[in-house]
Amino acid sequence: MANSRTRDIVTRRVATRRVVFQPDTYQGLQRGINQMANAVRPTLGPRPRIVAIDRILDDKMPEMLDNGGIIVRRIIQLADRDEDVGAMFVRDVLWTLHDQVGDGTATAAVLLQSIFNHGVRYLASGGNATRLKHHLEQGTHLILDELSRISTPVSGPDQLAQVARSICYDASMAKLMGEIFDIIGEYGRLEIRPGRSRHDEREYVEGLYWDRGLVSRAMMADHTHTRTEFENGAILISNLEIEQPQQLFPALEVALRHNVRSLLIVANKFSDAAISFLLANRRPDKFQVVAVKTPGWGEQEQAWAMEDLAVLSAGRPFVKAAGDTFASIQPDHLGHARRVWADRRNFGIIGGKGDPRVLRQHIATLRAAHNQTDDIVLRDKLLQRIGKLLGGSATLWIGGVTELEIEERQEVAKRTAAAMRGAIMEGVLPGGGVALLTCQPALQARLDQSQDPDARAAYRILLEAMEAPMRAIAANAGFDASHAMAHVKLAGPGHGFDVTSGQVVDMDQAGIFDASGVLKAAVYAAIASAGLALSIDVIVHRKEQPTHASAKSPGKRKRL
Amino acid sequence: MQEEKPTIMTHEIQLENIVYALAVSPTFEQDGLCFAARSTGLFRSQDGARTWQDAYASLELTAALTTTIAVLSPAFDADRTLFAGVPGGVLRSADAGHTWHVASFPPPSPFVSSLAISPDYARDGTLFAATLEDGVFRSADRGTHWAAWNFGLLDLNVLALAVSPHYALDETLFAATESGIFRSTNGARAWREVDFPTHWAPVLSLALSPNYADDATLFAGSEAHGLFRSQDAGATWQRLAGEQLNGAVNSISLAPDFPGRPEVLVLHEDAVLVSRDAGQTWTDWPSDVALEAAVASLAAPHGLAPGAPLLVGLTDGSVLQI
Repeated sequence: MANSRTRDIVTRRVATRRVVFQPDTYQGLQRGINQMANAVRPTLGPRPRIVAIDRILDDKMPEMLDNGGIIVRRIIQLADRDEDVGAMFVRDVLWTLHDQVGDGTATAAVLLQSIFNHGVRYLASGGNATRLKHHLEQGTHLILDELSRISTPVSGPDQLAQVARSICYDASMAKLMGEIFDIIGEYGRLEIRPGRSRHDEREYVEGLYWDRGLVSRAMMADHTHTRTEFENGAILISNLEIEQPQQLFPALEVALRHNVRSLLIVANKFSDAAISFLLANRRPDKFQVVAVKTPGWGEQEQAWAMEDLAVLSAGRPFVKAAGDTFASIQPDHLGHARRVWADRRNFGIIGGKGDPRVLRQHIATLRAAHNQTDDIVLRDKLLQRIGKLLGGSATLWIGGVTELEIEERQEVAKRTAAAMRGAIMEGVLPGGGVALLTCQPALQARLDQSQDPDARAAYRILLEAMEAPMRAIAANAGFDASHAMAHVKLAGPGHGFDVTSGQVVDMDQAGIFDASGVLKAAVYAAIASAGLALSIDVIVHRKEQPTHASAKSPGKRKRL
Repeated sequence: MQEEKPTIMTHEIQLENIVYALAVSPTFEQDGLCFAARSTGLFRSQDGARTWQDAYASLELTAALTTTIAVLSPAFDADRTLFAGVPGGVLRSADAGHTWHVASFPPPSPFVSSLAISPDYARDGTLFAATLEDGVFRSADRGTHWAAWNFGLLDLNVLALAVSPHYALDETLFAATESGIFRSTNGARAWREVDFPTHWAPVLSLALSPNYADDATLFAGSEAHGLFRSQDAGATWQRLAGEQLNGAVNSISLAPDFPGRPEVLVLHEDAVLVSRDAGQTWTDWPSDVALEAAVASLAAPHGLAPGAPLLVGLTDGSVLQI
């Protein structure tokens, strides 16, 4: 729109900074937003297209990506600085979304792009950016309420597998995900590891385990299975540092006096002298003792691990920071479990003797904290703790022909797992963009009621945007998006375009779902960010163009 | 049969011990076959509980083998299969209790408190064992091999199990524990807490409506707070009969055509009570028989209609028909 002369007028150099005013602001932002959104758009849907990205550090073949969350991380700078601001704005939004819910980046990109482009057009014709942003926010609430209303719970391995397939588009992985999440539930512990064959495999482990192994190989009782295991064992929980064998005397005396036949000692450090002392005092037929280090990195994590162990086994933790020593140990300070095991890497307990009521209350408290906190890191830690306490875990071994394929599928599996948890917690919606179409009547009704031009523009923009994901999915799969949209509208509510068959189908019956939590997060992120971008009036550049390659810290999670 | 004088057990079963459970042949009226699980073993009667024989005779045991539970296959007529829960494992007989196979459990040896069989056992061969410290074990090969399935079962002290009558379709079962009730909807592969208040626990007994798929109704008997009913698959609970049933409910039986006939039979403390209005009001089970010991177990081979005889196992080891 603006010629070079106009740009010279509106662009001023102020000392070491360059300040950009309208209309250059919108133009620059728009080019950047469109470039970033267009880079992610091809990945939307079950028939995504590939985005090839040149490698920076070597001259191997480009990375072939179909995951929007990963693609945006790879795009670290655009040459034009005005465009770069818009692109990095979108990158930040999508990166945060990916970290928070594991999926939905392409949907968010398409929505954001549609809303921003239509918004710019409206503002160029004289609309008010602040009022438009306000009405877009009102529309967000309306859409989120509609999505909540039509969300349905998901259960059973088959339905869960369908949800997984809608996320990862990988039939074998989806089948296992369905089975795994049917068993472990939304809070269950799932480890996703690189496999050793072409095929995906899963394994379930009973009981709880922590990633701390025996402090000495000599403590292994079963050398065939490289582990030691005992029944009805006692557990001494601490984060003390055992430098001298004498520190252990009171604990061992209490154990022996009370006929404890097997004892697991948990402490932050065991000196060589302490380990030698324990090994010397083992009597395989009368008294077994093994030692592991306190799980967790840092005081806080160790405190959490000790708390969980104590609740599970009815033991009392001995805490270094509180000045505890084993000198004051009483028999009831020892925890107990039906089975205790340890190997070089892990130790675990099965059937802890803690009060089940206390355990259930403890888990309920952790769940409440998990649901309430906005801190992503804390949420992950809480999820890990809850998963452990539920009494079992699953491991999914990802197969593949090459290391690269395994790596990529592992990333997809992690993303799918995160979205599956959200799907179980918040339910599912008809997939393929149909859920967003379902919001159109409510938006249309609000549009019809509104007299304010900015409000009417906002609802019209949102009405248009609700179609954007379905159009992108159809176009990515090689279909005429307008043709597909027309047939879907003709078929009525709940119907969508299945790009794998090229047919208009009932999405519920076809088992094509979106995780409700993911879609709502994508909608919220897209509309809020587009509204914010539309209200940007001036860009101030630093002298040096910033680099954006370094990892950002996870953002806060917005509760919807 | 209900007119007869109650029969005292043969001398083998008159020892001081408890009849933990009774299991009755589906064709009891014709064959009079039933089993009594007692502290001293498992006993079989082929004459309507008049005389009893040691069902473990073929094992030639040197000491009494406490038997906590006995259950018959739903297809007992055809397969003659029954299972007995004993400390450390489960015994299986495929010839109505004449010979036995021992199914071993992974160590440590569990104490089996209850057994439950899939209604579709003839096809799926699935049964479940509740244990007092080790949660729930599941066998999918007719009791030959067992594995613990305790994902989400936060309380491993399981006192009772109840399997959905439509298990083949819904794979649903409930576990009663020290701290409440848990439900599995995937054949015990994973468990979820049921919103049964922990202060009403422990839960000693469970019964699912024969029409559970439609009415989502189940009953739970607690140790100290009486009987509870849920009509939404365990999501919400109502306490039934208030103070009248304020104590331990050790056993619950529903009429085979419940809720068409809304009859519920419970063993409340040591009294046998019946409700004919789905648990709202209760009366003593009518009987002229004077019991010399407390009732420990029940079986209703002829249903719960007025006048139908009941078998009761007592704490002195005897089994009576009342």
